[in-house]
Amino acid sequence: MTAAAAPRQEGSGRSVLATGLLVLPAAVWYLLLLVAPLFIVVVFSLGEKARNGGYTPALTLDNYGQVLARPDPFVDSLRLATIGTILTLLIALPLAYFIATRAGRHKGLLVLLLVIPFWTSFLIRAYSWLIILGPRGAAGFIGDMIGEPAFRILGTDVGVMIGMTYGYLPLMIFPLYVTLERMDRSLVEASKDLGAGRWATFRQITLPIILPGVITGSILVFIPMMGEYVIPAILGYGRTFLIGNALVLDFLEARHWPAGSAKAVGLIAVMMVSITLYLWFLNRGRRTREVSVL
Amino acid sequence: MSAPAIPAVPSARVRAGRSWPRAGFGGLVENAFRAHAILVYAFLYLPIVVVIVFAFNANRLATIWTGFSTDWFGVALGNGVIQKAIQNSLIVAFFNAILATTFGTMAALGLQRVPRRLRMAFDVLTYVSIIVPEIVIALATLVFFATAFDFINPVLAAASDGGAAMKLGFGHATIVAAHVLFNTSLVLLLVRARLSGMDRTHVEASYDLFATPWRTFVQITLPQLLPAIVAGFLLAFTFSFDDYVITSFVSGPGSSTLPLYVFGQVKRGVTPETNAVAAMIFAFTIGTLLIGQLILARHARRTGSRGSDASVAGMITEAR
Amino acid sequence: MRFEQPGITREEERDVADQDLNRLLARMARTKVNRRSFLAASGLTGTAAFLAACTGGGGATNPPASGGGASAAPGDGSAAPSAGPVESELFIYNWSDYIAPENIEAFQAMHNTTITYDTFANNEELLAKLQAGGSGYDIACPTAEFLPAMIEDGFIEKLDMSRIPNMQYMDPTLLSQKWDPNNEYHVPKDFGTTGILVRKKIVTEPLESWEDFFNLAVGKYSGRVVLVDSLGDVLTMPLKMLGYSLNETDPAKLAEAKQILTDLAPHVLALDSDTYQDKLATEEAVLCLGWTGPLLELRDNPETADTEYLVPSEGSLFWLDVWVKLADAPHPNGSYEWLNWIHEPEIQAAETEYNGYATPNLEAKELVSEELLNDPAIFPPEDVMPNLEGADPDQTDNPDRISLWADFKSAIG
Repeated sequence: MTAAAAPRQEGSGRSVLATGLLVLPAAVWYLLLLVAPLFIVVVFSLGEKARNGGYTPALTLDNYGQVLARPDPFVDSLRLATIGTILTLLIALPLAYFIATRAGRHKGLLVLLLVIPFWTSFLIRAYSWLIILGPRGAAGFIGDMIGEPAFRILGTDVGVMIGMTYGYLPLMIFPLYVTLERMDRSLVEASKDLGAGRWATFRQITLPIILPGVITGSILVFIPMMGEYVIPAILGYGRTFLIGNALVLDFLEARHWPAGSAKAVGLIAVMMVSITLYLWFLNRGRRTREVSVL
Repeated sequence: MSAPAIPAVPSARVRAGRSWPRAGFGGLVENAFRAHAILVYAFLYLPIVVVIVFAFNANRLATIWTGFSTDWFGVALGNGVIQKAIQNSLIVAFFNAILATTFGTMAALGLQRVPRRLRMAFDVLTYVSIIVPEIVIALATLVFFATAFDFINPVLAAASDGGAAMKLGFGHATIVAAHVLFNTSLVLLLVRARLSGMDRTHVEASYDLFATPWRTFVQITLPQLLPAIVAGFLLAFTFSFDDYVITSFVSGPGSSTLPLYVFGQVKRGVTPETNAVAAMIFAFTIGTLLIGQLILARHARRTGSRGSDASVAGMITEAR
Repeated sequence: MRFEQPGITREEERDVADQDLNRLLARMARTKVNRRSFLAASGLTGTAAFLAACTGGGGATNPPASGGGASAAPGDGSAAPSAGPVESELFIYNWSDYIAPENIEAFQAMHNTTITYDTFANNEELLAKLQAGGSGYDIACPTAEFLPAMIEDGFIEKLDMSRIPNMQYMDPTLLSQKWDPNNEYHVPKDFGTTGILVRKKIVTEPLESWEDFFNLAVGKYSGRVVLVDSLGDVLTMPLKMLGYSLNETDPAKLAEAKQILTDLAPHVLALDSDTYQDKLATEEAVLCLGWTGPLLELRDNPETADTEYLVPSEGSLFWLDVWVKLADAPHPNGSYEWLNWIHEPEIQAAETEYNGYATPNLEAKELVSEELLNDPAIFPPEDVMPNLEGADPDQTDNPDRISLWADFKSAIG
């Protein structure tokens, strides 16, 4: 966290109590609805499949051995998530900047307008993309223009990317917006007054301030994209087999909960390590840890 | 404390001591930002427009247009199942958003003063809650609830001595509980991102002036955090409203939400009825927003309050 | 970053493990595994030993879920409550749009009861939810091959057929199948087939068999073929082409089938169970391995009225959706009443008219319109019936088949 914490009032006991109370509800929720279920997952991952599916008690590491049997889903998920995150960032950043600094009175309205489309059921929005990008929509239009009747957007990575970016945009915009909006414009003005060029101002003033937002947004988008499988199923015509598909296969079709659990544990471990490395790399060489585990 | 107003002619400052193309570039950049924003909103709303248009499709097949018809709106309005589903969605999303926003904000504030080790543990949990794939947490949470209920219900039954015992089951509460987990993390991250860039000097000044922690919080910290808190509330509401996997696992009889209904519809083919429902929800939301804006604007005019407060927008930006 | 282990010591683990292991093994021997066994398993690691001891010992030796409160009769239904008045509520867990609204209204009015109709999207989710401990419903409607799993895990129990006299109307050829040899656990609902949908306007070549389908798919209509995203249905194609049972699990034969699928994979446009009718309608796809559900709309629409459905000559899969009463149904009287009443001939005929699937109720068939009766897509003709095979419940999660399927899915794209 940044700089100095607020100086304490007298009676640090009260302060500790206050801190404890503040953190308590979230802690309780994490304990009951995250730690407990995850413990269940770990226990499952060491077990075996019950006769009719599900879980039966056992202590075996077989499931972990199986995790790497098919690396393709992981690689494909990684590819989609990486490209998707970068795309989403590129689209979201200018917009967040615009709303935070140029929208003045209409800031809140614009922010609200960002989420309203997402109160329409996800599936219906996805089906709308099927219409928009389908052979009677954009694909047909573009196909006619370039003289390629079999031109297709859906069922390709492009279609999937459009869908993914669309679905995750708010998740990227919001963290960017809340950090950008906090940015003190006077610093930027001062920098310009002192003769710094646009780029230097951006790099030395703006960037460090918005970095927490960029990081939070990227992580908030990248992680779920790794597990995404519905959008690729609908807009990608089910042509890519991703981690999410593999998990659904394990839990629902194969009903092999231990196998699915092992994959999930593996995925979580890999992601945690990646994030830790990512953040450590970013914090390396900074005197103050402006960017915490966030 | 507030950001200074943007100069009416931003290039004016730049022009002094700069050559002409820079100023032009400045203007171009401004227009580029605006154009980009317009494009993004168009991108966001394009599917909504399509959804609404196809709500008037006369055909049962949702994706082939055959003719104009308002029939599906009638069907939707008469469909009790959909209405119950919407009701459930709203209840669950709203309560979940309240709880998640409260818990997340409290935790973000509290974590500032927590020892580093504990904070790191919290960070780990926050990230893990986002990393864990939905189907995994859905199944595991269901097992957890079922196990807990199996343990608690006999105790409750024994305690009530043959009278009608309260029996824990799956329904709104379990859905809200499951949603609150993910959304608390979301709010936590948003508020912390905001906190990390916050100017501490005002807080310190406040303490120096002997203000109580509570007053400092209410008058200094909270207004600065408000955008993140409101943003978190909106996102939490949205994610809950639209969630499928977790909800389908931990719901019980009578607590089906709209996404459950829609995904179930898929098996028989999504009809324009679902489009009609979506269109009506959208119209209702936009309508409420506009009315809210109008009321607040009129209130502002009458009471003469400052521009930025006199709008829904004002509530989301920081208070002056 | 260190992740905390649950706070237990080695000694505690061993003690608990010794005590609980015997109990656990004894119970496991009856292979009724569900989440209660999970409780025992947690006991092995010490943390949930407390929970297991409290609930496992005191709880029923009959694992069926839910404690406390008024619950349905345990075990084999021989102690079923005597027929009492229909309760004020009934919870039905079903596919979407699968009961005629007028029938729901009628039942509600007749018994002054409220029906809660919740939907699920596929059998696997239903089973997973039950296996993880969720429930609360009275009646569910799975597809038949999932019956054995539900029976063995104790989610459904034997029905008191004396309370369901309308079972007498059932078509005997659909009864006594592998999934419920003595017809004790279910009441049939609807049945249908998996087959080929084709846009006859475009595909004018002769098409009668899976072989034809395959040749057209890898040849002239490459890239315009859609398959439903369902293991059992898709595997039907190569296995039937080779003349094997569609439930085949012999690795050598599966390898042959895999070869066919591998050859087909590059030519498949999409794996899609939900919007294949739209792809057919826009002519993006002209051939589809799928079901009859969307057929009626496609035929109603003049633009797409050339769509036809056929059951290939080598044979195909038939599916049967069934009504079951869940073991812990909170409203047993209403459940029985429903199970019987839904098969009153007029009621059942109305069901068929509404959802367009074939009824197994011979008496009701008399009352169904000619149009539907003569539609080979809905009521498979006499000569087709012998070629139809039901899915073998034991093979729904066979690892070799699953592996084949996963490889196929990876190969498309």
